[in-house]
Amino acid sequence: MIPLVTAAGLTKKYGDLVAVAGIDFEIHEGECFGFLGPNGAGKTTTVRMIHCVSPVTSGTLTVGGLPAGIDNRALKMMTGVIPQEINLDNDLTVQENLIVFARFFDIGRNEARARIAELLRFVELEAKSGSKISELSTGMKRRLLIARALINRPRLIVADEPTTGLDPQARHLIWQRLRQLKSQGTTLVLTTQYMEEAQQLCDRIVVMCQGKILKEGIPAKLVEDEIGREVVEIRVPPEEDGKVLAELSAFPCAHERVGDTLYFYCRDGHALMRKLIELDLPNTLNRPATLEDVFLKLTGRSLHE
Amino acid sequence: MSLSYRIAYVFLRNLYSYKRFIVPTFLVSLVEPLFYLITFGVGMGAYMGSFGGKPYLHFLVPGVLVSAVMMSSSFECLYGTYIKIVHEKVYDSLIATPVSADEAVAGDIVWASFRGLVSGSLMMAVALAMGVAPASPFRLLFLLAFMVFIGILFGSLAMIVTSVAPSFDFFSYYTELVVTPMLFFSGVFFPLDRFPGWMKTLAEFLPLTHAVRISRAVFTGEPAAGLGWSFAALIVLAAVVFTISIRMMRKRLIK
Repeated sequence: MIPLVTAAGLTKKYGDLVAVAGIDFEIHEGECFGFLGPNGAGKTTTVRMIHCVSPVTSGTLTVGGLPAGIDNRALKMMTGVIPQEINLDNDLTVQENLIVFARFFDIGRNEARARIAELLRFVELEAKSGSKISELSTGMKRRLLIARALINRPRLIVADEPTTGLDPQARHLIWQRLRQLKSQGTTLVLTTQYMEEAQQLCDRIVVMCQGKILKEGIPAKLVEDEIGREVVEIRVPPEEDGKVLAELSAFPCAHERVGDTLYFYCRDGHALMRKLIELDLPNTLNRPATLEDVFLKLTGRSLHE
Repeated sequence: MSLSYRIAYVFLRNLYSYKRFIVPTFLVSLVEPLFYLITFGVGMGAYMGSFGGKPYLHFLVPGVLVSAVMMSSSFECLYGTYIKIVHEKVYDSLIATPVSADEAVAGDIVWASFRGLVSGSLMMAVALAMGVAPASPFRLLFLLAFMVFIGILFGSLAMIVTSVAPSFDFFSYYTELVVTPMLFFSGVFFPLDRFPGWMKTLAEFLPLTHAVRISRAVFTGEPAAGLGWSFAALIVLAAVVFTISIRMMRKRLIK
């Protein structure tokens, strides 16, 4: 596979603050690559360097073989950005937002008109073309951001938390559109805090924390390697830990106490569950392991502020 | 600096946005000159006898023309640009496209100059209607071009202030301590020769003094001393502040 984005020792400092601490990764052409991590992990900073709006402090970062840099117009020409913050132009209508953006990319008038009609259809906003931005719902605004990011037919799309604050319908629509783009061969770089989003969209992910990459891999495989297949949760007071753990010591599952819950990470949770039913413990749960378990295991359960 | 034809795209964006405010801004631009020309020119002028053989209004118009340009272009690069950076995030989306931060800033300065030209032209139209006209049509055209230049100069100066402004309140320092005093010490409303020597010297350091001197000489066709110097000083100053404003804004925009 051909790498489209390559980072080696990529570092970003703001004064004394190290936002990205020398990370290495490769993003392949045509895949969806996800950056996961708690707030302040350095995800947004990393993707801002990829789409050339933030200068690299040290290390190397190339996109399509070219060094990323704020004056690299060739890279900006082939990149579409779906920003975290809704920065649509409120003084302009839906249509005008796209017309102006098309000009920024040197797209001619007729070509722009055709693309805008096609993109508004793609994000299901044809009926809103003359509306003011203030008349749109958050979901519509996010969809318009996607249309805007596609105006230059980008080879690389950078989506920074594209579904934050959306209801499930809007979120699923955006996921579908992003998958559709990927199936057309567009490379996607995604940052997210939603594990479901990463599982839905990403071929490969990295988990970041405090500017470093903690783990890299395919989502399903990371879950299996780090957690196992199943998780059993038992909500018992900590005083009873000794008693419960003694009863369950025979099972080959790792365990952890967090707050009011005992977690068991197992290949197969059935035997353990049968034992729990036998012990007649209230409040037990057997569920498949998810990326969220991996995330919490890697980045810790304390708040990142 | 990374500047190209893309400056025009930024101007175009502003033009689209302007469509919605065109009526109120035209009204404001029209009421302001009427206010100046009627209160000072007609009202006060009645008590002032003649200035060099002509009514006071003829002295006043060339100065008020350039001050109107200064006011509009300054306000556009202060409040207009600040809103686009901090509130509307227009700059954030712009610099992610092939338009560079330098072009975004230059585009806004050119836009401010256009807003200055609109204000200045409306002021000129009011003056013409009141019977105060430049000495020849060619001089009228020159004055319009001069307004564009003055707009770039004061737009860039204001842009420097915006590049370090932490909030809206910060602009009061500039408007109250620099712009407004400049209006009264640059020979807009009365000739500078009644000032004591040190104040005359001080006035020579104000860009508006030179702009007013040039405007008045061109408007009336009467020669004035030191015109060449005034031109040279303004051109050098404009080049310097334009460059500095773009450098400083780049620091604010690119992190």
